[in-house]
Amino acid sequence: MAPEALLSPLHRADGSATYTHNRYSILGAVNGPIEVQRRDEMPEEATIEVNVRPAVGVGSPKERHLETLLHSTLRSIILVRSIPRTLVQITLQIRSLPEEDAMLGVNTSLLILPHLLHTALLALLFSSVPLRAIVTSVLVAIPFTKGAGPLLAPSAKELMRAKPFKSIHVFAFSGDRKMLLNESDGVFGFEEWDEACEMAEEVCCKEEGGVGLGEGMEVDGQSATENLEQWLREVVKSKVEREQRWRVAT
Amino acid sequence: MPREAEISLNERAFIQQALQEDLRLDGRAFDAFRPLQLTFGDEYGVADVQLGKTRVIARVSVEVTTPPPERKFDGVFQIITEFSPMASPAFEIGRPTDAEVILSRILEKAIRRSNALDTESLCIIAGLKCFALRADVHIVDHDGGLIDASCIAVMAALQHFRRPDVIVEGERATVLSVREREPIPLSILHQPLCVTFSYFEDEDVFLVDANAAEEQVRQGEVIVTMNRHGEVCQIAKYGGATMDPLAILNCTNIALQKVRELSKFIQARLDEDAAKRNAGGLLAELSAENAR
Repeated sequence: MAPEALLSPLHRADGSATYTHNRYSILGAVNGPIEVQRRDEMPEEATIEVNVRPAVGVGSPKERHLETLLHSTLRSIILVRSIPRTLVQITLQIRSLPEEDAMLGVNTSLLILPHLLHTALLALLFSSVPLRAIVTSVLVAIPFTKGAGPLLAPSAKELMRAKPFKSIHVFAFSGDRKMLLNESDGVFGFEEWDEACEMAEEVCCKEEGGVGLGEGMEVDGQSATENLEQWLREVVKSKVEREQRWRVAT
Repeated sequence: MPREAEISLNERAFIQQALQEDLRLDGRAFDAFRPLQLTFGDEYGVADVQLGKTRVIARVSVEVTTPPPERKFDGVFQIITEFSPMASPAFEIGRPTDAEVILSRILEKAIRRSNALDTESLCIIAGLKCFALRADVHIVDHDGGLIDASCIAVMAALQHFRRPDVIVEGERATVLSVREREPIPLSILHQPLCVTFSYFEDEDVFLVDANAAEEQVRQGEVIVTMNRHGEVCQIAKYGGATMDPLAILNCTNIALQKVRELSKFIQARLDEDAAKRNAGGLLAELSAENAR
């Protein structure tokens, strides 16, 4: 299942997106470049502020941790030096989580991280903040059960069925196949990590040859994910087409 | 944080002059609400209200805690409002603006202190265990009328919410999950709703549901909270303008009419949602609720 995205649902923010995948639903908004407060101002680059707001309650250390991860990843794709002494404000509001989320017994901040990254990227794209590259991200979970292969971008139900897990990994790649983020949790050796990394790269980045990716990853009969970069391109294309239709019509 | 852009003198004069000619910027009547949309989420207790361009999401959740010792027979009910930079870059996290303080105070008075929710029904074992209900109000898009929209969202979410059932055996209480027993609705005693009137002193005009531009021009506001039975829960007046007491009485009459329309609308949407969930008509059999 490809993620669903609804672009620019908000009127006030410069760029916004709602993103739904595997019953994780997130609303993201970007304001920027805007005036920065004196104490946060940096002379040669833009300040980036990331706010993650949970569906229930006020932010906890878990959200702060996610914010730091997102901050460092997004900072590397936003062209911060071309908009110095400004602020790019990214707000991510979690709207709903799958019910199983709390019962999985794994680090839940990793489960939501790819979704947050995608939401932030979509909102950034439509706020016209200058970007260096795009970023796609995926979760890989390696179960304890012998013979069971790693799960790629699993839904909460699949995770529930396959638990307990040896390790879970989140990878994020830029459009030119550079790894931007890796967060891992659990016990694993280098071979396992390398295998997970290759799987993730295959799903995140588009292959030049146009090989149908995700075909090798059969999860309960259905092919796991289509290529994420392709999905992202489709989303952007449909949005641009809709905005440019006044030109096409003539 | 950048400050909210102030409305220009020209715009201000334009709005005022239009009001003198009995016109509003968007062509609405003086006592008309913007188009209202209300959608519910997949889970119980999530209401998404869109009032024109204003959008508010309310989410009700529950957990089990110990009640405070001075209120042994009551559950806990909290309404949490926090503005996020999503609605406007002028809102900063952790530093409430005046509008935010006023909003949370009004919701507190309108819903909590008017006893809209029967908190005694949230008690599980007196003095030991009770449900703690919290309503999180997320302001997502801001174009005026936040108080009205938030109040609608919270009331709709409360009416939509279902809390898990419990079995009490002596001192032991077991909370049953959704799979074990159908969750039960909250006991709501009445449905208060807010109607905000914006007062323009020079023109002597009251506007219902002003948008952000009109809110910046107004000299005063009156917030009337009442339920559809015509009981006034609270009236608050902000801003420096002096108002005629008779005009406020007139406001309550208009508010009653609006509140009736709104409650009818909310009920219709709740019924639609219930019908959608009740595919096959099996829900009545699942319910463990006794008829009163």
